[in-house]
Amino acid sequence: MPLDTSTTYPLTRLRLDGRRWNELRLLQAQISTNPASSGSSYLSMGNTSIMCSVHGPAEGRRGDGGSAGSGHAVVEVDVNVAGFAGVDRKRRAGGSDRQSSRIATTLRSAFQSHLHTYLYPHSTISIHVSVLSADGSLLAAALNACTLALVDAGIPMPGLLCGCTSGMSGSASTPRDPRHDELDPLLDLSLPEEQELPSLTVATTTAVPVGENNMDEDEEAMKVCVLTMESKVHATYLETMLAVGIDGCSQIRELLEGVIKGSRG
Amino acid sequence: MSSQRQASSASQVPHLSPAELSYLYTSLSLPKNPIRPDGRSPTQFRPLSAETTILPGTNGSARIGFADGTQAIVGVKAEVEKTVLAADTLDSRSLAQHGDALNREGEEGSAAVSGQGEWVQMSIEIPGFRDDDALPVFLSEMMRESLVGSVAGGDVDGAKEMAGGLKGRLVINKRWHWRLYIDVLLLSQPLAYPLPLLSLTTHLALLSTKLPKLKSTGEEDPFFDDDWAAAEYLYPRSNTSDPSLSAAPSYPVRPPVTLLVIAVGENVIFDPNREEIAVADAVLAISVTRSSDSETLKLLSIRSIDPPSRLTQPGIPNSENVNMIGATAAPGEESGGQEEVEGVWRPRRGGVKRGVIARMVKTVLGKGGVGEEVLEGLEGVEVQ
Repeated sequence: MPLDTSTTYPLTRLRLDGRRWNELRLLQAQISTNPASSGSSYLSMGNTSIMCSVHGPAEGRRGDGGSAGSGHAVVEVDVNVAGFAGVDRKRRAGGSDRQSSRIATTLRSAFQSHLHTYLYPHSTISIHVSVLSADGSLLAAALNACTLALVDAGIPMPGLLCGCTSGMSGSASTPRDPRHDELDPLLDLSLPEEQELPSLTVATTTAVPVGENNMDEDEEAMKVCVLTMESKVHATYLETMLAVGIDGCSQIRELLEGVIKGSRG
Repeated sequence: MSSQRQASSASQVPHLSPAELSYLYTSLSLPKNPIRPDGRSPTQFRPLSAETTILPGTNGSARIGFADGTQAIVGVKAEVEKTVLAADTLDSRSLAQHGDALNREGEEGSAAVSGQGEWVQMSIEIPGFRDDDALPVFLSEMMRESLVGSVAGGDVDGAKEMAGGLKGRLVINKRWHWRLYIDVLLLSQPLAYPLPLLSLTTHLALLSTKLPKLKSTGEEDPFFDDDWAAAEYLYPRSNTSDPSLSAAPSYPVRPPVTLLVIAVGENVIFDPNREEIAVADAVLAISVTRSSDSETLKLLSIRSIDPPSRLTQPGIPNSENVNMIGATAAPGEESGGQEEVEGVWRPRRGGVKRGVIARMVKTVLGKGGVGEEVLEGLEGVEVQ
């Protein structure tokens, strides 16, 4: 089924949900939602809503093997997509599915290297992510929710880690036409867009200032720390998508900072 | 092996010493007025916050959070499914009645076809447990069976759709029916036995559940109204806007509520926390619902739950303690060490007096009892 966007978008420049190409969905977030955990957050981007809770840093489980005995904290991530999250109720054949385990792996590797884990040797930081409602950009929303929960838990990190998706509408599988140089990138994809269009998830963070020169820079230097793409796109479009995604990340960063500072973003 | 035993038991045993357990047991079993660790009265529940219709993508949803931070979210989703005809299909006579009922009332006439219990599916997610672990499976089956088993008697106003209970409500016509998926999500590790939390949340979610309004009639393939505002509640409400009748229950039929009750000595204690369960003589899960034709509550099921006090470590009386021999007066009198010694903890071996069970049930069901109090409290939660 072709997406309506592909027929109407070139004419109206409005997406299915009425957004323009560079608009984010409504992002709402809260921190400290669950008093039983060290840190917790609730984040919704459009119809995607996620609850995240962090336990720890705490003593790792015994029998964990050599990993807990190292000089760094170990980040554990558990992602659970609720059965009622999608449009149709998902039938699960026991255990976890491919999508949630892939998100969990990405989150784990992102935060394992992002957090200052060396401050908590021999300990475990466990993150539990529950997806209550899934409408695209799951990984990006999970990254943002985890960041908020980790901030709430007071775990030191060099900067906020903010994720966003970007996609490319039009015939993205053919190389770009140099004479007809128009690109249709989209920011923050919803589920129908994500299913139809090539999309990538990018997450950025503030780069740690190294050396004397970086200390007096006005503009904060951004560093891409997560980049995943699960669909095909011609290499010529990648740069634009990446640029749009990074721009979205900095918009989300401002919103998340607003949430943390108490004024709801 | 030991972890599996713990999972199937009422909850993880807290790390309390035999002396602490004994102290707790003694204060909870004080005749007439037990002293609970958090100062509640025996029938008092922990404070909770609740909200409903929180997830737009579900037919009904609810969230309940206890003050200690344990939270549960329940989402109910319904799907239309083709009924596989059973051997006992209706004869033409009852089919004609079915049609008559439809013509007369323009309603679903679900009384003519009986539903099946397997149309309601329940799954419980508890962090740290697999889907097929004993605890989630046992809990979901315990809650599902009382849900499916609750059949409303009689047809008082508004209860006509619910004549066959929840099962009957799910029937669309002879060939189609609703399938109800109830997904329970516990958001944190259970601090106490999560049954009351899950049951109350499920109750609220079911009360807020709406099904699209049926437009087709009779044995046609089902066809629904697009307008979600026209959707009908799964559990119908009596639409009495008259404020003078506000005392009457606004739901003629309600989903059952399962309460956790423990007995310590002669005392009956409600909504126990983890420490209290650890010294219980007996743990019962009592399911009640309001029957439509009478004011009183109806008992649906009682299940006993393996009390975790069985797994605790016993204390050693001074008379048996090797370090204390010589300090006590007469060590030789002690026989097998099986009898109770004042102030020394013995793991409970199970068993409870019939009188205590009778009192447990009476406290739940009685006029102005705990069951009514809970149902009234839940009614107070705004269900839009």
